[in-house]
Amino acid sequence: MSISRRAFLAWAAGAVPVAAVVRRAHALSVAELSAEGAPSQTLLALGDVVLPSELGAEGTSRAVDAFRRWMVGYREHAELTHGYGTSRIRYSGPTPVTRWMSQLDALDAAARQRYGTPFASLDVARREQLVRAALAGARMDRMPAVGEADHVAVALVAHFFASPVATDLCYGVAIGRESCRPLAASGELVLLKHS
Amino acid sequence: MRSVIETDVCIIGSGISAAMVAERLAHSGTARDIVVLEAGDDVPPLANRYALRERALAYGENPWPNDHLDGYDVDGPLQSRSMCVGGLAMHWGGVTPRFSPEDFHVRSLFGVGHDWPISYDDLEPHYQEAEEILGVAGEQGPGAMDPRAKPFPMPPLPLTYNLGLLKQWVEKAGIAMWSQPSAKNSVPYGGRAPCCRNDTCSPICPIGAKYSPDFTWNALRQARKVRLETRTLVRQLVLERGRSRVSHALAVARDRPRDTLEIHAKQFVVAGGYVWSAHLLLLSAQPGAPNGLANRSGLVGKYLTGHRNVQAIIALPIRLYPGINEQHSLVTKQFMRVTPADTGGRYVRHDLRVWESAAGRGARLTSDTGALLLGDAILRDWRERTKTGVARVRAYYDVIPDRASELTLDASRRNAWGDPLPKLSFRDDPASAELRPFTEERIRGLFSTMARAGAGTVVRTNVDEFQDHPAGGCRMGDDPATSVVDRYGRTHDHENLWVVGAPTSVSGGCANATLTFCALALRSAARML
Repeated sequence: MSISRRAFLAWAAGAVPVAAVVRRAHALSVAELSAEGAPSQTLLALGDVVLPSELGAEGTSRAVDAFRRWMVGYREHAELTHGYGTSRIRYSGPTPVTRWMSQLDALDAAARQRYGTPFASLDVARREQLVRAALAGARMDRMPAVGEADHVAVALVAHFFASPVATDLCYGVAIGRESCRPLAASGELVLLKHS
Repeated sequence: MRSVIETDVCIIGSGISAAMVAERLAHSGTARDIVVLEAGDDVPPLANRYALRERALAYGENPWPNDHLDGYDVDGPLQSRSMCVGGLAMHWGGVTPRFSPEDFHVRSLFGVGHDWPISYDDLEPHYQEAEEILGVAGEQGPGAMDPRAKPFPMPPLPLTYNLGLLKQWVEKAGIAMWSQPSAKNSVPYGGRAPCCRNDTCSPICPIGAKYSPDFTWNALRQARKVRLETRTLVRQLVLERGRSRVSHALAVARDRPRDTLEIHAKQFVVAGGYVWSAHLLLLSAQPGAPNGLANRSGLVGKYLTGHRNVQAIIALPIRLYPGINEQHSLVTKQFMRVTPADTGGRYVRHDLRVWESAAGRGARLTSDTGALLLGDAILRDWRERTKTGVARVRAYYDVIPDRASELTLDASRRNAWGDPLPKLSFRDDPASAELRPFTEERIRGLFSTMARAGAGTVVRTNVDEFQDHPAGGCRMGDDPATSVVDRYGRTHDHENLWVVGAPTSVSGGCANATLTFCALALRSAARML
């Protein structure tokens, strides 16, 4: 028997959050993200609000897809890189994806309630109003690591702006962070066309 | 069940010093059986490392999964939990400066600390040998600062665009800097590819351009020169009855915890780094050695060494493009090669390195007025703040080790076999503690001078309390009353027991120390032949 993410979460709200329930919620969220349903459309529409317009529709779509892949690939309780000068071993925390999916639902619900239309159908200015309202009161003093973002909008921002693509866009140069290049090439700068 | 292995040489640990010893002994031309015992697991093959790197970049996951033993939560500043084939040098940054001649004679030259029983000249051929085994790409610094008898095995890693600009800046401050020597291939070397500057040397090089000990182990295993037993934890070294020679190592195979494994050998080489070497010797207390092996002096676990760093971020009115290669740096030995006359009669020695940096220049979510930034506003703000660049500068300064910088057995924490875990604590020698404010002020002053020379400003300075590149615990010396091993690493108390690499260090110097540990281990191996 298949069950929707929302139905599962409604049931799970009354259940003890054991690992199996959390894993199931994550799996359902990931499955829904991979489909062409409302959450996917809301996520893409969110990209238009929180990512730079210079990316264009194609670049925004690529950035949102990269974030979607990040969510799909998230693993709980994975061993993290060792700290220096400590014997403590750290592990990744509970999946943030389930929470972020609920926030996408909430953005869409707010759009429908206020404007009678899905979030993805609103113009960018109205979408931004809803996003700003959703983020009101949230702690914004630093760009968080992606997995530590409280809200899906911040997570998408954090994911993109930590990327080598964003660095190149900022500097107008093909810095190519974290990518392989011939050693000799690192002494030169390659300007990007739009710079 | 009791199993016995008989061998000529038993090496305990498989980190970088162990790899140097095995390499040297295996290629000495004299046939000998070498058994290497490693408590941890083997590491993933090179072919898997790109995928592991991707997970590390995206999620911060450890690219060396299961590289530690569970239940080894140590009290004190352990440098790393790594316990696997290759040890901590699977994570290292591949930075390979040599110590300078002064490091070995600080008592004679400056009246503080302790002299080593050996000189730079004694170690020089082994530095060269280590550089050739590891594959070091380096630039010869000015001769007076950077003495060496032969050229580096490989040409230097070229300066990036950013480092080229930063070099011009530091020259205005009267500082000669050059490309940091590194165990990273600048050309194909040792069957491994040249560096492609993808900038994740630490924690993982996905293409094998950076040396790590697994390459040595894989080659030696393939040539059947060594037998490497993984998941085999040595719990004790046992003396021959009524004699001072070591008879065998007592180990547990982690996959057969109820069985006992004895490894009998003619020579035993303890190569467990600054923690696990002294730990094993202390665990090996027995009749005839009630305080542990090699511990007649009471100094096993004492005089742990390291160096502290002062670091600053300096804003400069030049456009930099951080991200080309943030792990490569400029280096100088100008402040290592000083005399008391240069420093007002006081002992202040430190290295100096300069990196490109993006510190404080990343994208942000709020403006200076606290307004939330989204989309184009983030990009505009980011571009505005990156019109000029920042450099990271850091100086490691020598901390004189105190006897109370020590590793002891911690009765309150035990491993799965009931053995007490080590407990670590570090303390500056009183003379070093007294010098500390002067030293750090002097380094801050240098950073200010550098900033001014480039019309820049020091944005922030911080001092890391952690003593980096820790070593010692089985220090070398000529007097058995004040040292654990002789000038070659052989224990004073047991003629067939050696300690190699980091633990034998007398002091931590003021530069990354791994190459020195390798050279010390090779010097020991040469003596074993």
